[in-house]
Amino acid sequence: MMKLCAILILFVFTTPSWGKEFEAFPDLQLNDAQGLKEATRVLEEELKLAARPQTYVLIDLVGSTIQIKGRGIGLHQIPIIRWSSESRNELKGIHKLIARPSVVRRKIDPGAAGEQEPISLADMPTDYVLSCSPLMTIAVVPSTAGETLLRGAAILGKSGWHHVQHWASSLFTDAPSTPTPHLQLTISVDHAQSLAWSLVDGMATLIRRPTDK
Amino acid sequence: MGRLLLATAAGALLLLLVVNAPTTKRIVPEDSHVVHTSPVQDKASLRPLQDRYKVLSKQLSQLIPNQHYIVVDTARNRLYVKHQEKVVLDAIASTGSGVILDKPGEGNSQWVFDTPRGEFLVKTKLTNPTWIKPDWAFIEEGLAVPQNASERAEQGVLGDYALGFGKGYFIHGTLYTRLLGKNVTHGCIRLNDSDLKGVYTLARVGTPIMIF
Repeated sequence: MMKLCAILILFVFTTPSWGKEFEAFPDLQLNDAQGLKEATRVLEEELKLAARPQTYVLIDLVGSTIQIKGRGIGLHQIPIIRWSSESRNELKGIHKLIARPSVVRRKIDPGAAGEQEPISLADMPTDYVLSCSPLMTIAVVPSTAGETLLRGAAILGKSGWHHVQHWASSLFTDAPSTPTPHLQLTISVDHAQSLAWSLVDGMATLIRRPTDK
Repeated sequence: MGRLLLATAAGALLLLLVVNAPTTKRIVPEDSHVVHTSPVQDKASLRPLQDRYKVLSKQLSQLIPNQHYIVVDTARNRLYVKHQEKVVLDAIASTGSGVILDKPGEGNSQWVFDTPRGEFLVKTKLTNPTWIKPDWAFIEEGLAVPQNASERAEQGVLGDYALGFGKGYFIHGTLYTRLLGKNVTHGCIRLNDSDLKGVYTLARVGTPIMIF
């Protein structure tokens, strides 16, 4: 009898997780009410995107990843090193990319000898701003191993410029002053280029925000 | 005597601890709007959220294809055939070069040789495909576009199979295997002969192709 019990226990603990449920966010604490609310909000939005034949972006600020997804499948994952936003509450809903970094494309010279050099990841920008509709901007900032004071100042300058632009535009309009939701993502140089490559106009973007516990 | 002292001290200490022990009663300011719930109530309020999360997770998992699907990474020129999370076939591909070619006599109109990004479906499966050369294939080489359609047909350049996914884009073979792994095509996805055969065997009409 004891042997049978031991075998059963061993069997239960060594067999693959039968009936294991699919977890959209494996890092989610199921006793965190705010985290659950945010995860369900994101899932409700993602279901709308995944039901259609398209690829979309999920920026998971909790899991520190940017994912290119399709039908709920993660196709490509980019780790986020740092992020910041002063308008965290506004970063909800589905946003569509309306402006992404421009790429300098080489032109074929018809009949010319030799092959035209194709574009590659190395041609992609590393430091850029993505504009979305409804209004939101995402600044992608590359992290370099030897991040200098100058680089830090540039990042601060970019953030400051965003505020100056907002202030200047509010001077000429009667509309109440509501800042444009803005998110800054710091990722590696290679990943910044990879992200610039993968994004296409009109791509839907979704953000999972951290909650204050 | 020593024992008595020790016992008295211990008794006093115990009394002190009992008197100053924190009570379970919560002190809530009169004007406080904070509602304190017991752990039992917290669990009860979490349950619907947990259930909702699980239902939504399940719904999302049901959108994942339960058949083979193709994933193409155009930046790294890789093609994968996957089933659920498992990679069934991993191939080096060639995808769009991203270069541009002016359309003669059409102002600022241009061809952009990108592999389209997004989700598509395998629409056709062909064996021994013939390449019907489009206008750009002639213009690129500095040749005149033929008026006779038969002059556009070229045999043996697309390999043994071709899988069409719309708007003239195909997954097909290549004579230029040395260029696999590079962005050199006009938008189609090229594979070597054995990988092409594998994809052709695994994919059916309707198989999803996700390109990023």
